[in-house]
Amino acid sequence: MATLELIDIAKRFTKKVWGVKKMDLKVEDKEFIVLLGPSGCGKTTTMRMVAGLEEVTRGTILLDGKDITDIPPRDRGISMVFQNYAIWPHMTVYENIAFSLKLKKMSAAEIKERVEETAAMVKIGELLKRLPGQLSGGQQQRVALARALAVRPKLFLMDEPLSNLDAKLRVTMRTELKAIHQQTNATSIFVTHDQSEAMSMADRIVIMKDGEIVQIGTPDDVYFRSANMFVAGFIGTPPSNFFNVECEYTKENISLKHSHFTLEIDSMKFQELGKYRGKEIVLGVRPEDLLIVPESKAVFTAEVLVVEPQGSHQVVAINLKEIIVKMVVSAETKVKPGDKIGLGFNIKRIHFFDSKTENRIVFKGGV
Amino acid sequence: MVPYLLIAPVVIYYSIFWLFPVLNAIIESFRNVDGIWTVSNYIHIFKDPVFYQALSNTAFIVIFSVTIEFILAFGLALLINTKFRGSSMFLFLAMIPMSLPAVAVGAMWSSGLATRGWLNSFLMTFGFIDDASKILFLAGGKMSTMLLIIIIDAWTVIPFVMIILLAGLQGIGEDVREAGAIFGGTKFQILRKITIPMLKPTITTAMILRIISAIQIWLIIVLLYGFNRLPVLLEQVVLNYDQLGAEYFERIGLALSVLVAIIVSAAAVLYLKVSGSFEKEVKQDE
Repeated sequence: MATLELIDIAKRFTKKVWGVKKMDLKVEDKEFIVLLGPSGCGKTTTMRMVAGLEEVTRGTILLDGKDITDIPPRDRGISMVFQNYAIWPHMTVYENIAFSLKLKKMSAAEIKERVEETAAMVKIGELLKRLPGQLSGGQQQRVALARALAVRPKLFLMDEPLSNLDAKLRVTMRTELKAIHQQTNATSIFVTHDQSEAMSMADRIVIMKDGEIVQIGTPDDVYFRSANMFVAGFIGTPPSNFFNVECEYTKENISLKHSHFTLEIDSMKFQELGKYRGKEIVLGVRPEDLLIVPESKAVFTAEVLVVEPQGSHQVVAINLKEIIVKMVVSAETKVKPGDKIGLGFNIKRIHFFDSKTENRIVFKGGV
Repeated sequence: MVPYLLIAPVVIYYSIFWLFPVLNAIIESFRNVDGIWTVSNYIHIFKDPVFYQALSNTAFIVIFSVTIEFILAFGLALLINTKFRGSSMFLFLAMIPMSLPAVAVGAMWSSGLATRGWLNSFLMTFGFIDDASKILFLAGGKMSTMLLIIIIDAWTVIPFVMIILLAGLQGIGEDVREAGAIFGGTKFQILRKITIPMLKPTITTAMILRIISAIQIWLIIVLLYGFNRLPVLLEQVVLNYDQLGAEYFERIGLALSVLVAIIVSAAAVLYLKVSGSFEKEVKQDE
C-alpha cells in the first residue's frame, strides 16, 4: 500500500502543445482517486506519466516517498487496466494473468494459487483455459482486471476501463470495482470522462481542464461546492443552470435582476456580494434546487418545453428565450409540455460565480 | 448458382491461360521427341550431376538468403516502427532497391563488381586500394560467388520483407506492448513473448513468399555469371528449355520445371508444418 505524490509535473508534446501544464497532487494510502475531465484535458497523459509509459517534461513523481520519475514501468510496483483491455490474444486467460508472476520468478505452485485466487475474485475462474478471442467484452475486461490485481501492486491504475462496456454492465462493474477496492485496499487512480462514474466511485475527484487541475475534492465537495462554473457545469446530470443576474444592493435586501425574474435574498447571509454592487454576477442553480411552486409564491413563471421521464424522477426543460433551463422533479409531479408553471429557488443551495473569473464566490456564513 | 456464375470468368481465364499450359507441360515432360510415353526425361535429370549441384546450390541460397533477409528486415521494421524522427524518410530510402527491376539490379551489380567496375573505382578514389590490388569480386570460388548472390538478393528483397513485417507490426496495438512493459517485461522479453507471437501470421506470409521466390532465383545469377557457372534449379530450366535449342533439351527443361514446382510446393507445405500454422487453424475450427 502506498502514497503517491506528483510534484509540479508537466508534459509537453510539441513546442506549443502541452498535454499537462502543471499538476500537483498527493494521493493518500488506500485512497481511490478519480481523474475526471473532458477529452484532451490531460487526465490520461497524467496517468501514463505515473505508469512510466510517458516521459515527464518537468517535475517529480514520488511513490512511497521514493523518486520513480525516471525508472522503467516494470520497476515501479504499479499495474494498470487499459481502456482497450490490451490482453494478449495469443495467451490463454491463465497465461495472461500469470505473465507478470512468471517474470517475477515465482514458483509454479505459487503462481497457480495466485492466479486462481485472483480469477475467483473477478469471477472468471472457469475461463482460465480459454483464449481471449473466445471471450465477450465484459469477460475480457475481467481478465485485464485480474491480470492487474494478481501483481498485488502498490498502485493500481485504471484508464477508462469501463468505457467500452455496455451501459448495464458498466454500472455493475462500477459496483464490483468499488467492492474489490474495499477488499484489496490498493491505492488506486481511475481515469474517466464520465462524471457519474467518478461521483459513484471516488474518495476524491480531481477535475482537470486544459492540462491543469480545476478542483480536487470529495464527490460532495465538487457537487455542492463547485470551485467554478466549469465544475458546476460539468458535474451533475443534468448539470447546473446558470443565470446572468445584475446585483442590486438595498439596506435589507439584495435584488438579483434577470431578464425573466427578480430574486430577493437576505443581504446579511450574502454579505460578500457587497463588492459586486451594480455589477453582473452568475447565479448557479442545480436542477433539483429549482422548485415548482404555486404561482402566488413563484419567483417567475415559465412554459414547459420538454419532459424527460427517468423512472425515479423526471427532467423538465424550460425555455427561457436565450437559454434552456433544466430541473429535476419527482416522478409523481404532473407536468406536460406547454404547461405554465411557477418556479422558485432553494435559497439554501444556490451558488454565485464571478462573471469574469468564473470562480465561485465564497460566503463566510456557509452555503 | 449465382456464386458459380460470379467466379466463372476467373475459372475460365485460369483454365485457358494457366491450367492448360501447365497440364500440357506435365504431359510433354513424359513424352520423348518421337511422342512416345516415357520417363527418360526424368532419368536424364536424375543421372545428371549438374542437377544435384543446382539442387544443393539452390538449397544453400534459400536457407541463407531467407534467414539473413528475415533478420535484417525484421530489425529494420522494428526500427522504423519506433517512429523516430526522420523514420518516414528512412523508409522511403530503404524501399529503393525494391523498385528496381531484376534486370536493372543485375546490370547495376555486374557493372559494379567487374574488375574495372564502379565499386573498385570507388574504393580506389578514396584510397582504400590501389590499381594493383583491385578486388576480383566475380572471380572467386563457388563459395564466394554464392555469398555474393546472397548479398545481392538480400539487398533487393529486404525492403519487400520489411514492408510486410512493418504492416504487421503496425496492426499490433501499442497497448499490448505497453502492457508488457507495465507487467514486468524488458524490451527483449516483450519482443519475444508478445510482439513476435502476435506477428506470427505475418511472419509466415512473408517467409512463404520469400522461400518460394528464393527457390526461383536465376536471373541475377545469369546476369552476373552467365549460364552453368553457378547452377541453380530455375537457371537450368531456362538453359535447357530456352538456350540449348534442341527439342530433346526442351523436354528436359519441362521435366525440370515440373520438379521445381513440386519442390516449391513441398517447401511451402514443410514450412507451414514446421511453423505450426496448420495446427492453429485446426484449433480454431474445433
